Amino acid sequence: MELALDRPVKTFVEVTEVWVPKGDTLVLAEGYYGTLTAFEEASRQTAFAKGEGLPGKAWAEARPVVLKGFDGSYFKRIEAAREAGLTSAVAIPVFAGKELKAVLVVLCGDDENRTGAIEVWAEKDGVLMLDDGYYGAAKHFEWVSQHTQFPRGQGLPGGVWSAETPILMRDLGSGYRFVRAESAGKAGLTTGLGLPVPVPGGKSFVLTLLSALGTPIARRFEIWDARRAGRGEAVLIDGICAREGPLWTGEAEPERKVSAWQGLVGRALGTGVPVVESGVPGLSAGYDTMTALPIHRAGEVSHIVAWYC
Amino acid sequence: MQKLVVIGAGMASGRVLEHLRDTAPDAFEITLFNAEPRGNYNRIMLSPVLSGEKSYEEIVTHDDGWYGAGKVNCRFGEKVISIDRDRKVVVGEKGEVSYDKLIIGTGSSPFIIPLPGHDKPGVVAYRDLEDTNAMIEAAGKPGSRAVVIGGGLLGLEAAAGLRLRGMDVTVLHIMGHLMERQLDEAAGYLLKKDLEKRGIDVLLRASTKEIRGRDRVEDVLLEDGTVLPADIVVMAVGIRPSVQLAKDAGLDCGRAIIVDAQMQTSDPAIYAVGECVEFDGNIFGLVAPLYDQAKVLARSLLGEVDAFAMRELSTKLKVTGCDLFSAGDFAEGEGREDIVFRDPARGVYKRLVIEEDRLVGAVMYGDTGDGNWYFGLIKDGTDVSAMRETLIFGPAYQGGASADPLAAVAALPDDAEICGCNGVCKGDIVSAIEAGAGDLGAIRATTKASASCGTCTGLVEQVLAVTLGDDFQMPAAQPVCGCTDLTHEDVRRLIKAQELKSQPAVWQELGWKTPNGCHVCRPAVNFYLLADWPLDYQDDPQSRFVNERNHANIQKDGTYSVMPRMWGGMTNAQELRAIADAADKYNAVVKVTGGQRIDLLGIKKEDLPAIWSDMNDAGMVSGHAYTKGLRTVKTCVGSDWCRFGTQDSTGLGIILEKRLWGSWTPHKVKLGVSGCPRNCAEATCKDVGIICVDSGYQIGVGGAAGMDVKEVERLHDARTEEETIEWTVAFVQLYREHAKYLDRAYKWIAKVGLDWVRDTLADDAERAALVERFDISQSVYQKDPWAERASPEAARHFKPLADLTLEAAE
Amino acid sequence: MNWIDVGHIDDIPLRGAQIVKTSIGCVAVFRTDEQEVFATSNSCPHKGGPLSEGIVHGRKVTCPLHNWVFSLETGVAQGADAGQIATYPVRLDGGRVLLDLDEIGKRSAA
Repeated sequence: MELALDRPVKTFVEVTEVWVPKGDTLVLAEGYYGTLTAFEEASRQTAFAKGEGLPGKAWAEARPVVLKGFDGSYFKRIEAAREAGLTSAVAIPVFAGKELKAVLVVLCGDDENRTGAIEVWAEKDGVLMLDDGYYGAAKHFEWVSQHTQFPRGQGLPGGVWSAETPILMRDLGSGYRFVRAESAGKAGLTTGLGLPVPVPGGKSFVLTLLSALGTPIARRFEIWDARRAGRGEAVLIDGICAREGPLWTGEAEPERKVSAWQGLVGRALGTGVPVVESGVPGLSAGYDTMTALPIHRAGEVSHIVAWYC
Repeated sequence: MQKLVVIGAGMASGRVLEHLRDTAPDAFEITLFNAEPRGNYNRIMLSPVLSGEKSYEEIVTHDDGWYGAGKVNCRFGEKVISIDRDRKVVVGEKGEVSYDKLIIGTGSSPFIIPLPGHDKPGVVAYRDLEDTNAMIEAAGKPGSRAVVIGGGLLGLEAAAGLRLRGMDVTVLHIMGHLMERQLDEAAGYLLKKDLEKRGIDVLLRASTKEIRGRDRVEDVLLEDGTVLPADIVVMAVGIRPSVQLAKDAGLDCGRAIIVDAQMQTSDPAIYAVGECVEFDGNIFGLVAPLYDQAKVLARSLLGEVDAFAMRELSTKLKVTGCDLFSAGDFAEGEGREDIVFRDPARGVYKRLVIEEDRLVGAVMYGDTGDGNWYFGLIKDGTDVSAMRETLIFGPAYQGGASADPLAAVAALPDDAEICGCNGVCKGDIVSAIEAGAGDLGAIRATTKASASCGTCTGLVEQVLAVTLGDDFQMPAAQPVCGCTDLTHEDVRRLIKAQELKSQPAVWQELGWKTPNGCHVCRPAVNFYLLADWPLDYQDDPQSRFVNERNHANIQKDGTYSVMPRMWGGMTNAQELRAIADAADKYNAVVKVTGGQRIDLLGIKKEDLPAIWSDMNDAGMVSGHAYTKGLRTVKTCVGSDWCRFGTQDSTGLGIILEKRLWGSWTPHKVKLGVSGCPRNCAEATCKDVGIICVDSGYQIGVGGAAGMDVKEVERLHDARTEEETIEWTVAFVQLYREHAKYLDRAYKWIAKVGLDWVRDTLADDAERAALVERFDISQSVYQKDPWAERASPEAARHFKPLADLTLEAAE
Repeated sequence: MNWIDVGHIDDIPLRGAQIVKTSIGCVAVFRTDEQEVFATSNSCPHKGGPLSEGIVHGRKVTCPLHNWVFSLETGVAQGADAGQIATYPVRLDGGRVLLDLDEIGKRSAA
């Protein structure tokens, strides 16, 4: 009963796709489309060459790409997207060194009632500047973010940048007293997940997912340390769940581990490719959908971040 | 039911209550006092709360509901005034409670250094939630600055948290490397680098003098005069057990409350647990032993047999992305063996310490995934002799090789410059190889890459290896020593390219195989660092040969020789008198040297500061007869006195000696200035020999008169004295910047070619830049070592640490 | 055991040494790490070089005269050179360096 009650009316992300290279093109490996079956059908019949469409652009330019407003753009599935009410998309390439493993694409619908933020931060002149982001109804926060920069080690983006590891932050709106934090608080943004997006060529990109209570990007976040991947396992180092509370373990408690290929996180660890699943039994805490994004460093999966709705 | 009173709701006492609830929920009627107006939270997780990575709610371990369910009578926010052991009552602010058993868990309080200004508003400790909130509050002001005093676990976690919150943070640490109790130098270096990457400034060997400000903290003044503006000062230098209550009650206390292995104090009805106890001379700050104590205490209360024992501890730093691990004992003791592994590309350092086939200590940075496995081996005392060879690779080692050293070169883009001297890119070399150049000689002939100064030779060979694959036979380059596979040229190039400015940086980033080098590489690396980074690097006397460390030549009988400087070989009656007096006073043998100086031989080490002081008093400074540096400038009498003299050779010699003295060079440097081609100063067999002629000055370089005898080769003909000085200084600096340590100038010139030296120096801008860099270096190093060491403080080091001959006689 | 306080560890430079005069001659006290000391004879068996003036690396010292290398733990010469120096019990108590005078006396008697 409680599970049904606390389900949000609308999720911030409507579609999540994983595109993988097959020869010279990107093809759809898996995706979550909810009720948008027509868009799903259109997507399954599409493939992208390097440089083509949004996934192909993320591949060719070796960088995360935010696209807002598809009309007249390089977006290939304009018709289907318009019919599905999708207006914005973010493509995140997953590179292992120079090799593209996959492109994760999330698509969002425009809605005055949905608040959240998916941001791409890029290094410029020694600080991180907002490359672009999708904010839904959080217009003031969007404006503030466009005028904020993060030096190394400061804030969620600057922290991720210098630590080269995903970071999960709590109480975004209350703990920080900076302008951006104040605005985040007003926008109802509570939890922030930041992760590095390693790309060939040494440029620094940081992706942040900022989630609001009412229209969350996710209700459960997990960060797995996979630097024991050589030993074929990952350890849950941080996480927060609307249903189970904090997911981290204290020093005296046993670690939560998964082995490669064990469960969905284990699949991301084993393949090195993002995983999107929905409606399968055994999803943690009874969630509907789950996305797991592996981060590669020095030729191996170093971390996996996962979020559940 | 027995009455149990607990003073202090902390992690240890909380754990005791948990054990009691789990095993004997009805054994005691419990009253819990806590001075803080709240229950118990996981204090060691305050750092992530400070950084924003956890919320306070997440770290609460025992809230009111928990105590309520356990029927604990909570008296929170109430201080305990005293313990009356005769009546067996605890006196609280709001009344007494009697006990059958009492547990003291008063914990510890932060240690505050009583610096001037330590009590100003804005100075916070880092211990509890109030401190944490005070720091979060301070971080709220945009552009605010924090100074953290203490580079241990707590201080660094505070610094990282405040930085994440947006503050400008400086960490002051009094020791030579961070977390010196848990880390060795190499790991400390990596940690410092990691923190600096986060924008945190770290000042080592920083001693705080005063915290200043009118109404509240405004800045921090260091002993060396540095002033650091600060909105808050976090003092995180350690803790001291809170034992006043126990002391007042007459319980036995040392540094803390003394307990036995059952956690019982000197009063059988009273137990103590946590950071306020002392067991077997130890006090406790980490959480693992506290939990052990809690379990033992709970069992003891219930009449069960158990005993607390000291265990090995491991340390992790709660700063996201700083992966360090240390466990056991890696610094002290005899009969030990180190295994060191470094992967500079990934910033990984691992060191294992083995004693009698057992792992006794481990320090790791960057890759700590195997930490708990090593910790297990340490705790269990496992015999590791069978896995000795592969131990460093961890439990997953399956015989795989480490990273390919050529991969980095293979990854370079074609437009990456390989040879800076001749502007040759990787692509040029690859093209030459594809056109048929198959070895280093052919590459040099076709592209000029590595044909000049030669420091890129290793790189060119690697490009050959990458391009040709198995067809290329890599010549066996001579590494500096067994500590590294790199050549001197590689080390010099990498020190500059990677801006390595300390010895631990070189050891780590260049993958040294030993913890701290050896007698071969240390002096070389020390020289390269001080030559390349005169302002950043601090000369390390312990990396110098004895002569340079003691500023005197050790003789075969262990005595020393002392040779004062005589500028250009000129002296006077007063100096000679002082030398004669010193010879008498210190019983010295006197010798006139080949370099126109007077040497006093047979001086005892403990007399050195005194004789130096005497020489200083007569106006003389060290002659550096012992250094890889400028030795002497030999001159003839020149135009002042000699009928053949063409220029003032003596005057030029004095100017050159005054300009060049005190500079460190790869090997010794001797100069000669002759007033005419008759060459009475024998200038043509010196490292730099100047012959004065009617039209000006002939500058020759690369002479020698040792095991090899060589005549100088002409570098340049200068018209004026100024030009001669400029070229000479620039030449010495070029030699300092490029030569291999212990290569005399002639050997270096043979390697790089006189043409390259001449072409480089002929470039006006380059020559001026060399002179400027030389002068910068001299601003640091042109100091009389005798004067610096004649002070009583410095002189102490020339005396024995102790003299036990008298005590032995008693 | 007769532990004698000979000084503070900070009086010995890191990777350096100091000598202590004793009835049997000079004993060299080496500081190999922040909190690690060794004590040996100060005299190299080769030509009598003062070992306390050598370069200290790892738990070894190199003689300043002819580069013989000795283990400070066992006293044994390393590599091709054959020889041994006496080693003496030394320990740290807080920052104080303690030498066992009895042991040194015994060696002199023996």
